[in-house]
Amino acid sequence: MSGLASVFAREARLAWSGGGGPAGPAAFFLAAITLAPLAIGPAPEVLAAAGPGLMGFAALLSVLQSAERLYGDDFADGTLDLYALTPMGLPLLCLAKTLGQGLATLWPLPAIALAGGLMYGVPVQASLMLAAALLAAIPALVLLAGFAGALAAGVRRSGLLIALIAAPLMVPVLIFAAGAGRSGFEGDERALANLGLTAALSLGAIALTPFGIAAAVRSRLG
Amino acid sequence: MLSYFSNPQRFDGLARRAIPVLGVLTVLLLAAGVWLSFFGSPPDYQQGETVRIMYVHVPAAYMAMALYAALAGASFVFFVWRHALADAAAEVIAPIGAVFTVLALVTGSLWGKPMWGTWWEWDARMTSVLVLLLVYLGYMALRAALEDAQQAARAGAVLAMAGVINLVIVKFSVEWWSSLHQPASVIRFDGPTIHASQLWPLAVMALGYTMLAAWLVFYRLRSRALIQRARQTERRKLQAARQAQSTEGGLT
Repeated sequence: MSGLASVFAREARLAWSGGGGPAGPAAFFLAAITLAPLAIGPAPEVLAAAGPGLMGFAALLSVLQSAERLYGDDFADGTLDLYALTPMGLPLLCLAKTLGQGLATLWPLPAIALAGGLMYGVPVQASLMLAAALLAAIPALVLLAGFAGALAAGVRRSGLLIALIAAPLMVPVLIFAAGAGRSGFEGDERALANLGLTAALSLGAIALTPFGIAAAVRSRLG
Repeated sequence: MLSYFSNPQRFDGLARRAIPVLGVLTVLLLAAGVWLSFFGSPPDYQQGETVRIMYVHVPAAYMAMALYAALAGASFVFFVWRHALADAAAEVIAPIGAVFTVLALVTGSLWGKPMWGTWWEWDARMTSVLVLLLVYLGYMALRAALEDAQQAARAGAVLAMAGVINLVIVKFSVEWWSSLHQPASVIRFDGPTIHASQLWPLAVMALGYTMLAAWLVFYRLRSRALIQRARQTERRKLQAARQAQSTEGGLT
């Protein structure tokens, strides 16, 4: 278990300090939600209605934006080969690695989404709901991005490929996470149900995707 | 049976005989199906003549899903037993399935305009077929991006199998999503349970589409094998030439 913890800590430290750390996805997310009103127009009721969905979508994009790093570097420098040799079991190790890296880089997103929601004129309670839903969605999003990243590791310009592979996988997470914010905005009591379903998807992803990621890593190591 | 046909020569024998048979069946069934759907079936009492779009649309949607099932099944067989033929099948099925998916989307859109008054409706079924198309595209892109054939085969198999689980979840989530926010104004078509006069052309067309897909799969499998063999011969020739050159150089 301490082995897993040290992998988790290693990945979290590396992600935190290297390549901008949490600043990269955060800045991307902020840029996306800043540009969207400029495209949609400043009408408050339109912005408030579109806000939760836009925020969920922008969060998905910023996860994809940083997905290339999840497995690309460790594939290139041979770390993955060593990981595959450890007696810990590759699925658990991949879980620790992906979550460690993901949580270290993506934690600002819910906070920015909360602020963004208020800027879009979404009521406070709905903004809180949206932030909570994003928090619940991050494990699922990062694990699915990790699966796509492991499949496409080491491919030249793998970012595009990862986005294409991961986008359909992330559809359910997007639906429920954005749905929580949206139904919160509409004063719907279904917001909690959507939040619960988002959390359920994350738990399901924690249970299932490590095996997929491990199979993907093995398939790429040959 | 699969291991029997993993011998390329045996498979080639099968494919050589199957291709013309499937081709003839396809042409006959599609011709009969087209005739039935235009002249052999009455216009619908609600939809009028536009109901005939159903005979090209429903089989295409069915093939889109059936071919994904075949792709995932072949991937599973390859992943577990490492049959090269299963991987070849998965590789050739993917573009065919993607084309049927596009066909289903386009015909559905053409049918939706007169019936629902809109080209596109974000309802559960259409959205999940669109996601299916993305899954096909992702699979093909991944295979194309990986240069090592073994890696491409194995990574593709993993992705195709993950796609099955994902498509099931997508279907349910999209249903909940659209049922939560479906505007009530859209006129839903609640047609009659299908009548025998419409079932016949539909069944013949579905069978014709199936034969068409099988024909294309066998055809592409065989041409893929031929291309590989041609490459091998080319390589061997090059090697022989190089060897001859080097021995010649050694003598003089």
